[in-house]
Amino acid sequence: MTGNQIIGQILSGVSRGMMLFLISSGLTLIFSVMNILNFAHASFWLLGAYFTWTFWKILYSPIFGLWASIPLAALTIGAIGWIIEVILIRRIYDRTLTEQLLLTYALVLIIGDLIKLTWGVADRIVPKPKMLSGLVNVFGSPFPVYYILVISLAGFVALGLWWLLYKTRFGRRVKASVFSREMVGALGIPIHRIYTGVFVLSLIIAGLAGGVQAPISSVTLGMDMSIIVECFCVMVIGGFGSLIGALVGSLIVSLVYAFAIMVVPKMALVLIFIVTAIVLIIRPWGIFGTAMRT
Amino acid sequence: MMHMRGLDRVLVIGLFLSLLLLPFPVKGAEPYNLGVVLEFTGTGALYSRHSYQGIELAVEEINKEGGFLGKHPIKLFSRDSQSKPDVGVREAKDLILREKVKGIIGTQSSNIALAVEEVCYEYKIIHVIANSNAEAMTVSNYSPYTYQIVPNTYMQATATAVSIAKNVKSKGWKTYDTIGSNYEYPHSTINTVVEHLKKTSPEFKLAKQYWPKLGETEFSAYVTSIIGDKPDFVYACVPGSDGFALFRQGNSYGLFKNVFYASGATFLTEMMEMKDELPRGIVTVLRAPFFANMNNPMMANLVKKYQAKFNQYPDDFVPMQYDAVYVLKQAIEKAGSIEPENVKNAMKGMTVNTTRGSLSFRKIDNMVNCPSYTGIIADDPKYPFPILRDMVVVSGEESWRPESEVLQLRDKADLSKKRRPEELKF
Repeated sequence: MTGNQIIGQILSGVSRGMMLFLISSGLTLIFSVMNILNFAHASFWLLGAYFTWTFWKILYSPIFGLWASIPLAALTIGAIGWIIEVILIRRIYDRTLTEQLLLTYALVLIIGDLIKLTWGVADRIVPKPKMLSGLVNVFGSPFPVYYILVISLAGFVALGLWWLLYKTRFGRRVKASVFSREMVGALGIPIHRIYTGVFVLSLIIAGLAGGVQAPISSVTLGMDMSIIVECFCVMVIGGFGSLIGALVGSLIVSLVYAFAIMVVPKMALVLIFIVTAIVLIIRPWGIFGTAMRT
Repeated sequence: MMHMRGLDRVLVIGLFLSLLLLPFPVKGAEPYNLGVVLEFTGTGALYSRHSYQGIELAVEEINKEGGFLGKHPIKLFSRDSQSKPDVGVREAKDLILREKVKGIIGTQSSNIALAVEEVCYEYKIIHVIANSNAEAMTVSNYSPYTYQIVPNTYMQATATAVSIAKNVKSKGWKTYDTIGSNYEYPHSTINTVVEHLKKTSPEFKLAKQYWPKLGETEFSAYVTSIIGDKPDFVYACVPGSDGFALFRQGNSYGLFKNVFYASGATFLTEMMEMKDELPRGIVTVLRAPFFANMNNPMMANLVKKYQAKFNQYPDDFVPMQYDAVYVLKQAIEKAGSIEPENVKNAMKGMTVNTTRGSLSFRKIDNMVNCPSYTGIIADDPKYPFPILRDMVVVSGEESWRPESEVLQLRDKADLSKKRRPEELKF
């Protein structure tokens, strides 16, 4: 095991982790504010990737195509999220976790079938822009430029969310509504608007992440189910409802995975679940979660 | 008025009689109901769409001449297995019981083909496999009703190993890695290659084996780990969308520039559909590439008609499915009957004309001696997609499993418990 190998695994692990963070940050935000476990979150991520492909096809401009398509796709996902929040999610705020899971899992199946109807079953391919397809050398290890974009987007989202939650009036209201929904309501703040805002914001982030994912792999059915499991591991490890927990959890999951691949490739997948199980036993509320809330 | 009414009556009766006559074909022979179980949805959908076109084309041609034996027009019944074995079994049974099919072709994934094989055995229906290629279907799970016209996993892996072994010698390679999706097909393919290399090039050391999960979209950590291992060679078997993600991410890390790479699961379909991002210079093995057989009139005809109808070149799967229908036609002609029992007997050890030349079934496993085509993926000015350069065609006899081993594997799998003794005598 040389220094270069370790750097290589750290870099690939961090890029993977940042994609996980982009999804689990929204997941955790929805959970902490609205008390809803959105099983369909990664499906919106996948939908974002499909919309990116569609907009890219429509715009068909080699330089600006992707840059315009990703935000357009994210906004589309946000709009879909707004409709779904008003029509469906709003009705299950006070229901039990099982009932919520039932509804959001149904959404996974519905979205999957709608994708099949709209885009068909063939893989959709979004090419990487030329200027981002190069390699840079980081401490002697090759690193694709495109992943720098993924990491910076995640950093931007993390900072943006921090600013929004701690530096703005909206953020203070959001935090207040976490602690006492009734009190916030009694003060005349329209609580359902805060909820809708949080849901739409989380989905916009998921849509952005999906758009950024599109040129990394192909856009294909089933991607959502494979990543949502890892996102739940992230939430368990980092702590349900904690943003910083989502960040740290994403890094733990992806780095454990990356190093397991290098050292014990056969155990790579299992190891994540072992870590998750250990955290569940020692600290059931996760590293940054509070015992109170779970 | 009376007169008119009489004319009316004649007209009505005439019309009625002609209606009665209409649905009956002139020759009066029964149609041949042919069942197709393919994966129109799910993971195999990309391949199945083309497969069906190959079948349609052959059926159209044969029906123009009146059908099988010139008098049994083929009626196609196609069903979607949704890439799920239980659905495949249900659909196959339904085809047999309700549509009274006499033969089933198609099937994509091996797990579905294995399930359909059992159904065909149970109902004594002829089963020609033209896509799925797990070796088990003709070896440990052999059925006298199942005929295989695709190079199976063992043959394809052996062919690959033969061409790798040549490079080991000429390039002085020392170590290699493998990477394969974590399910049956990649495991058996990779194991065959590893076993073969152990025998032929004992000095060539297997450094590390990676088994990413099925459905993986992020291979970066695998790619960086492989780059860190610094192997001379990587053997990969990652089919479908996963394989495409691996190509993209491997490309972005410059993997294919530094390591000699062979793929056990890059079909002509991928070479055509993903031509922009597919790395050049890697080695792959194909099953029935049209460009290797253009001097065969049957292939040339297929390519011409396929292009005219679908405005593209046929992939690997089109010629094999097309062959399946024609193999059935030739067997029916030899048997002089469309009854599955007679057709099955006629097909035993039979030599057939295919788009890949004249091929013969081996009696012990009903496996046709079809070749595997290995070579380096490279662009060619003649085609809008890359084809194989430095092609090595490894014949069926060179690559299939020796008969003694086939029998050993059957003993090990206790095949005699599933099949009658007379069915296992050759």
